[in-house]
Amino acid sequence: MSSTNPAGGGPRRTARPDRAAWGFLLPFVALFLFVFVIPLGYAIYESLLKPIRSGSLGLGPATVGFAGLDNYTLALQQSDFLDGFGRVLLFGIVQVPVMLLLATTLALVLDTLSQRWAGILRAAYFLPYGVPGVIASILWGFLYVPGVSPLVDLLGRAGLAPDFLGYHGVLWSIANIVIWEFTGYNMLVIVAQLKSIPQELYEAARIDGASAWQTAVRIKLPLARPALVLTGVFSIIGTLQLFAEPLVIKPLTSTVTSSYTPNLAAYNEAFSNNNIYLAAAESVILALVASVLSFGFLSLVNRKERGAR
Amino acid sequence: MNSSPPSRRSVLRWGAGAAGALAALPALTACGQTVGAARTTRQASTKPGQKVNLTFWTWVPMQKTVDLWNRTHPDIHVQMQTIPASTQGGYQKMYSALSAGNPPDLAQVEYQELPAFMLVNGLTDLSRYGADKLRDSYVRWQWNQGVFGGRVHTIPQASGPMGLFYRQDLLAKWGIETPATWADFERAARVVKARGDGARISAFNPNSPAWFAAMCWQRGSRWVRTQGDTWVVGMNDAPSREVAEYWERMVRDDLVFVEPDMSSAWYRQVQTGRVVSWIGPQWGDALLRGNAPGTKGKWRVSPLPQWKAGQNASANWGGASTAVLQGSRHPREALRFAHWINSDPKAVDLNIAVGYGWPAATGVFRGSALDKPDPFFGGQRYNDVFTASDRAIDTSWKWSPTTDADFAHLGDAFGAAVAGEGSLSSALADAQKRTVDDLLAKGLKARSQS
Repeated sequence: MSSTNPAGGGPRRTARPDRAAWGFLLPFVALFLFVFVIPLGYAIYESLLKPIRSGSLGLGPATVGFAGLDNYTLALQQSDFLDGFGRVLLFGIVQVPVMLLLATTLALVLDTLSQRWAGILRAAYFLPYGVPGVIASILWGFLYVPGVSPLVDLLGRAGLAPDFLGYHGVLWSIANIVIWEFTGYNMLVIVAQLKSIPQELYEAARIDGASAWQTAVRIKLPLARPALVLTGVFSIIGTLQLFAEPLVIKPLTSTVTSSYTPNLAAYNEAFSNNNIYLAAAESVILALVASVLSFGFLSLVNRKERGAR
Repeated sequence: MNSSPPSRRSVLRWGAGAAGALAALPALTACGQTVGAARTTRQASTKPGQKVNLTFWTWVPMQKTVDLWNRTHPDIHVQMQTIPASTQGGYQKMYSALSAGNPPDLAQVEYQELPAFMLVNGLTDLSRYGADKLRDSYVRWQWNQGVFGGRVHTIPQASGPMGLFYRQDLLAKWGIETPATWADFERAARVVKARGDGARISAFNPNSPAWFAAMCWQRGSRWVRTQGDTWVVGMNDAPSREVAEYWERMVRDDLVFVEPDMSSAWYRQVQTGRVVSWIGPQWGDALLRGNAPGTKGKWRVSPLPQWKAGQNASANWGGASTAVLQGSRHPREALRFAHWINSDPKAVDLNIAVGYGWPAATGVFRGSALDKPDPFFGGQRYNDVFTASDRAIDTSWKWSPTTDADFAHLGDAFGAAVAGEGSLSSALADAQKRTVDDLLAKGLKARSQS
């Protein structure tokens, strides 16, 4: 259809390159279908079903019937499920900026250091990312439990009585684990972006008499913007998917509930309560919120970008 | 540059269309689909002399008992497979196997979980294979835990009648008599706090709704009843609230430690005499003996404290059955094994040795390994207490088909309550409401007790 374009002045487009493009895209499309579209479609399908009971007290044979939006209504009526969203949002509002600020600062510092030191430090900062989330949580868990933790011991001797696993503190103890895990990773993305900035710009800045601080704020940060946006979106999605850390911390304290995060709530609904239909609805809601937030964030920063031009 | 947004949009549209088509396709067939077990039990015919193989999933280390069966029953070979305990993965595994159509022939299922298994059509109706004849071999209330709609669905294995484990030496030192009522218990707790140099009478575990359920069970509460076709939830009834207020006071007045029992911190306090008593089940004897060997000879067991002097009400904590899962090809042989492992005196003795609990079979206690004076309990025939306790358990207690979720809600709310957010009583109201929601979400008729 678009192969003949009378208005276009450029080279005539044919169907042939398009077909080649699709050939290159095929592996991606196939994977996208199998690991994203089909599971998503199946989850949506399951979320629209419910069991129809029979027999005395509903203990007779049951069949699967159409539920409409019943599961969604139910999920949205559960206050602890909604509390979970509130909790991860609060978590995200604090944790994401702190982590990105740390990552950006580290990246800027590394960028000004000599090549040798930067390499060693970069590897050191990145190291926690190599530790799986579950292991990291167990590790930090030991540092949080009173009686076992040398950290609590030390702080206790200094006259402080930190309650890392207390009702109000545990969320921030989890935030600490996540920051520890992902700061290095995000730093690496930002460092890569900084490395791609042409050296001539720095030279020009030096000739103009810009200080290191001015160079960082006026040149490096604006040009690292794509990396910051990318890490921002990843972090927002990661926040909503918070799962392994609270799951591992849960046995250590009664303050982490079984629906502490939306992901945990869906997991418990599916595997503890054995209600996959409701769990599917909760998962779909979670996916929706995640996409609204990440697309919202993208359009927000893009609009700003356009406004700035 | 400009071409990218439309293409992305069209990809999204295409994806949505595909998802829609996918959703519509099986929806047409969904109405005939059954929930739960993909395969139903059917007796396979066996030729004479043919060896039948059974698979048995359990988390109790009963391999020796199974070996004895295999030696004495050459025609039926049982292969025992160890699975994670209860909700730590065992049930999830069973549910998956049921819906995949490849379940084991037999599996260990706790009483509180049986209604949930009924809900996924996971248990074989054993009445069809002559299970009703076995009824008199078992304690009646435990037998009834597996009877639904007048049909037997499981063979009971063991339970946990409760009593009060206490340090006789410490109570004597502080001049405290063994508490006979809960009021006595509270008074004793105040004395222990005053004279005990940091000791407390016991610990309250906000993470153990099964223990709390037992306390309400003793008080005469019914967390779940049925009325016609409706499940009626009464976790917030007057008896349960009374129990909650009692423990609320114990926690607020700092008369008990707030920590999980059977945790390393708790065992340490038991070893050092900082925890003076434990309101525990019969199977707790092995835990004390194994984890606090240094306190040998100092422990005694007495009946549960009563709400009114002179009463005789008891409670149960724990208990499991041997179920024949839906989909077995050898239900008749499976039933034979399930009955043998739970009632044969030799089998029961081997089971007791690995701490499986209080036998559900009647008439096996006398002369068994349990029927002896025990040096750990200062030579007391402490199981006499549990024999009496077992008889005093209210037998009409029922579990809901969503027990796991109920416990999760209660544990969550208790956790908040002991952290100062709400009270144990309000936690009950909260858990009751959520339990009704869970039942409704499962497609059942349910309401709160008014």
